[in-house]
Amino acid sequence: MTVLERLSQYVVWAIAGFTVVFLMTPLIVTVAVSFGSSTVFTLPPPDWSLRWYERLANMRGLLPALVVSLQIAAVSTAIAMVLGTLCAIALVRGRFPGRETISTFLVSPLMLPGLVIGIAMLQGFKAMGLRDVYGSLLVAHVVITLPYVVRTVVGALSLFDFSLIDAARTLGCSYPAALTRVLVPALAPAFLTSGMFAFLASMDNYPISIFFTDAWTKTLPIQMLQYVEERPDPTIAAISACLVLLAIVALVIGDRLVGLRKLADF
Amino acid sequence: MTTKGAASPWRDPVALLAVPAVLYLLVVYAFPLLWLFMKSLTGPTGLTVQPYVSFLSDPFNWRIVGNTLRVAGWVTLVCFLIGYPAAFALARAGALLQIVMLVSIILPLSIGAVVKAFAWQIVLRRDGVVAQLLVGVGIWDEPQRLLFTETGLVLGAANIFLPFMILPIYSVVKLINPRLSEAGATLGATPLYRFTHVTLPLTLPGVVSGVAFVFSMSVSMFVIPSLLIGDRFQTLSTLMGRSFLLMRNEQLGSTTAVILLVLAVSIVVGSTWLARRLGGSAT
Amino acid sequence: MTSDSFLDVAGAEKSFGGVTVLGGVDLEVAAGEFISLLGPSGCGKTTLLRIVAGLLAADRGTIRLDGEEIGARPPHRRDVGVVFQNYALFPHLTVAENIAFGLKARKHPAGEIGPTVRRFLSLVRLTDFADRSVRALSGGQQQRVAVARALAVKPKLLLLDEPFSALDRKLRENMQIELRRLLRELGITAVFVTHDQDEALTMSDRIAVMNRGAIEQLAEPATIYRSPATAFVLEFVGLSSRLNGTVVGQDHDHVIVDTAFGPLRAAGSFVTGAPVVLAVRPERIKVNTGGDYALVARLRDAVFQGSKVQLHFEAKDGDHLMVETADLSDGLPPPGTEMRLSWAVADTLIYPAS
Repeated sequence: MTVLERLSQYVVWAIAGFTVVFLMTPLIVTVAVSFGSSTVFTLPPPDWSLRWYERLANMRGLLPALVVSLQIAAVSTAIAMVLGTLCAIALVRGRFPGRETISTFLVSPLMLPGLVIGIAMLQGFKAMGLRDVYGSLLVAHVVITLPYVVRTVVGALSLFDFSLIDAARTLGCSYPAALTRVLVPALAPAFLTSGMFAFLASMDNYPISIFFTDAWTKTLPIQMLQYVEERPDPTIAAISACLVLLAIVALVIGDRLVGLRKLADF
Repeated sequence: MTTKGAASPWRDPVALLAVPAVLYLLVVYAFPLLWLFMKSLTGPTGLTVQPYVSFLSDPFNWRIVGNTLRVAGWVTLVCFLIGYPAAFALARAGALLQIVMLVSIILPLSIGAVVKAFAWQIVLRRDGVVAQLLVGVGIWDEPQRLLFTETGLVLGAANIFLPFMILPIYSVVKLINPRLSEAGATLGATPLYRFTHVTLPLTLPGVVSGVAFVFSMSVSMFVIPSLLIGDRFQTLSTLMGRSFLLMRNEQLGSTTAVILLVLAVSIVVGSTWLARRLGGSAT
Repeated sequence: MTSDSFLDVAGAEKSFGGVTVLGGVDLEVAAGEFISLLGPSGCGKTTLLRIVAGLLAADRGTIRLDGEEIGARPPHRRDVGVVFQNYALFPHLTVAENIAFGLKARKHPAGEIGPTVRRFLSLVRLTDFADRSVRALSGGQQQRVAVARALAVKPKLLLLDEPFSALDRKLRENMQIELRRLLRELGITAVFVTHDQDEALTMSDRIAVMNRGAIEQLAEPATIYRSPATAFVLEFVGLSSRLNGTVVGQDHDHVIVDTAFGPLRAAGSFVTGAPVVLAVRPERIKVNTGGDYALVARLRDAVFQGSKVQLHFEAKDGDHLMVETADLSDGLPPPGTEMRLSWAVADTLIYPAS
C-alpha cells in the first residue's frame, strides 16, 4: 500500500507539474520576449533589454486606448456593483418565485458567445437611438461586469449569518447601524474581489467592444489586436506583460481578501 | 387575527431590489438578442426562414459548421484529457503545490484572450517553444511551424480554456470523501472498478459542466482563431464577425449569429439539465 | 405576583401567513429569576423570545420590563441581551472587540470600555484570549464570549436561545453549572429557551412548558416533574409508565380504572366510562416488594445504565410499562422473568385520554 501511495504521489506531482508549466507557458513566454532584445521573438532571448518598454511611450494610439479602457472599466464596474449588490440581496433574502431563473439570466452574458451579444447590442442600440461610441461601450460593459458582481455577492451573502444583524441590534445598534457595522465589513472582501475581476473582464473584453469602437475611440484590446495584425513586434509583449502584472496584483489582493481557494470556486 | 406580509410571495418588498438590474439587462441585453432573432426571421415580405434554408443548402457553409464543431470537439477533448487528472491532482496536492496550481489556473483567467493568443503566436512559431521541445525530445527531425495549422489552433485554444475544465471538476472532486474509495476497496473492488463505479459517477456533474463551458466557448471563439490560424480557416463565429465587420453582409451575419446563439443556449440548457439529472450541484 | 413581576408578557399573539405560532401567551418573571421555556421545536418558544427581544413584532399583546412598556421599542432600545443559538459572534472582530461591541454601540465613554471588557473577560475566564479571532475558539469558548458580550452592556434581562445545543454532552453539563453561577452572582434575570428537559430541570427556578403556541404549565422543576399538569407535560418531561384504561367506578375522591393489568386506583374525579391514561414515574415503582397494590408483568428487556437499571415490561399496544431501580443486587434478571410491580396510589397520575 505504501508503494502504491508513494507512486500515486509521484503521479500527482507529475500531472500538477505538467499542468502548471502548460498553463503558465504563454505568460512566461510573453514576459520573457518583452525583456529580450530580439525583434523576432527569439527564445531564450539573446540579450536582455528594456527597449520595448521604452517604445511604449511612443506607440501611437496606445495611451488614448488605455485611458478609454480604464474609464469604461471603472465606471461600468461601479454601476454593476450598485445594480448587482441590490439584486444579490433580493435573490438571497427575498422570498419570491423565479429567483433561480433571475440569477441564471443575470449570469447568462458570461455563457453566451460574446460576439453574438455584441452584434445584438449594436443593432439594438441603433434601434433605440444610442449612437454615441463612449455611451454604447459603457452600457455594453455593464452587461459584462454585472455577472461577476452578482455571482460573487450572492455567494458571500448566502454564507452570511443574518443572526449577526440581530445580535448587533440587541447590543444597541439601530437597523441601519447594524447593516453598516456588521454586514458591510463581512461583505467587503467579496465586494472588492468581484469588483476587481469585473474590472479586469471589462479591460480585457474584445468581442463586444469590437462593434462599438470607431477610428477615434478604441479600447486597449482592440488597439492591441490592431498592432498584432499590422506590425507584430515585442512591444505588444511589453503591453501584455503590464497586463499580466495587473492581473498578478489583483490576484494577490484577492488572495489576501478572500483566499485563493475561494477565488477558485465555480 | 390579521394575516399580513408573507401571505403573498409576490408582495415581498425585498424583490424590488432586483428590479433595476433585471430591467437593465432586459432592455440592453435580452431585447437586442430577441430583436436579432426576430430580424433573422424577417424577410422583405414578412416572416421567412429563407436565410436559414439558403445558408444550410450551401455546402461551403456546411464545411464551416464542420470546422467549428470539429475544432471545438478537439479542444474539449484535449482539455478533458489534461483537465480531469489535473483536477484530481489539485484536490490531492499538498498545500504548497496546491497554491502553485491555483495561481497558474486563476492568473490566466484574469488575462485577456488577445494577450494569450498573441503569446501562442510566439509559442507556435517554427523557432517556438513547442517546436524546440518536440525536436529536442526526438519526435520531430526538424522544427516545423504549428502556427496557422489546425493543430496549433487546438493546442492554443485548449490552453486558454483549460481552467474552465479544471475548476468545475475540481469543485466536485474536492467534495468526494476519499473514504468512499477505501470503502470500495474493503468491499473487494479493484482500483479500476472503484474508479469506474465510484469516482467517475461522482465526478460526472463536474465533467458535464466543464465540457459544456469549454465546448461552448470553443464554438464561439473569435480572437483565438483570427490570430492562430488566420482568415483562410473559417468557423461560424469568424464568418459572423467577417460578415458584419468586413463584408457588411448583415443578413448573413444575423443568420450565423442566431445559429451560434441557438447552439450556445442549447449547450448551456442541455448541460444544466444533464448535470441536475446526474444529481450534482455543479453550476 | 403581578405587582413584583419584573418581566410581564401579557396576551402575546403571533401568526405567520395565517398560521398561529403564539396564541395569547402570558408570562411573568420575577427579578433575578431564571425561567426556562421548554418545548418541542415549533412550539413557539423561540418566537416568544424574539418578541421579547424586539426582533419580531407581536400581532397583539403587551410586554413590560421593569415597569416600562417596551413592546413598541426597537431591539436596541430595550436593554435586553441575547445569547443566540449559534452565538452570532462577529467573525471580523477579536474576542475583546466582540465584547466591546455593545458598549461602543451604546457610546459608553472610551475610558470605561477597556476595564469593563477586561472584567467580563475574566468573569468568563478568557483573559488570555482577548486578542484572538473568534473563529479560532472552541465551541465552549465561543459560547462564553457570547455570554460575556450580552452581559457586558448590563442588560435588565438576558435571553438565551438554546445556547448549549452545539456543545457535546460533557462540556454542556459544565457550562450549565458555570452559567447558572455567573448569572446568580450578577443577579441577572434570564429567560432561557431549550428543548432539552434535563437542561431545563437542572438550571431553572421555574419552567414554562410550551406546546402549540401556549404555556401548558409554569412551575418549579420539582412540581413539573412530580405533578405534570397535562399529559403533554408528562410525556415531554421525564420518563413514565403509561397504561390506558376506562373509569369503572368511584370510591370517595378516587376513581377505579380498568386496565390491561386489572383494576387500578388513582386520585381524581372522572365520570364512569371515561377513557383515561394512568401514569407513574419509573423510580416510584418498586419491584418484588409490598405496596398499595401490585401487578405481575413479564420482563422484556433490562438496560444497565450505571447508577441505575431500566426494566421494560411486556405490555399491550399503547401501554408502556417501565421501572427504574438502583437496587438489583442479584444482577440483571433474564428476559421473560415474571416480576411483581407495586407503587403508592398517591404516585398515580391520571389524565383524560387524548
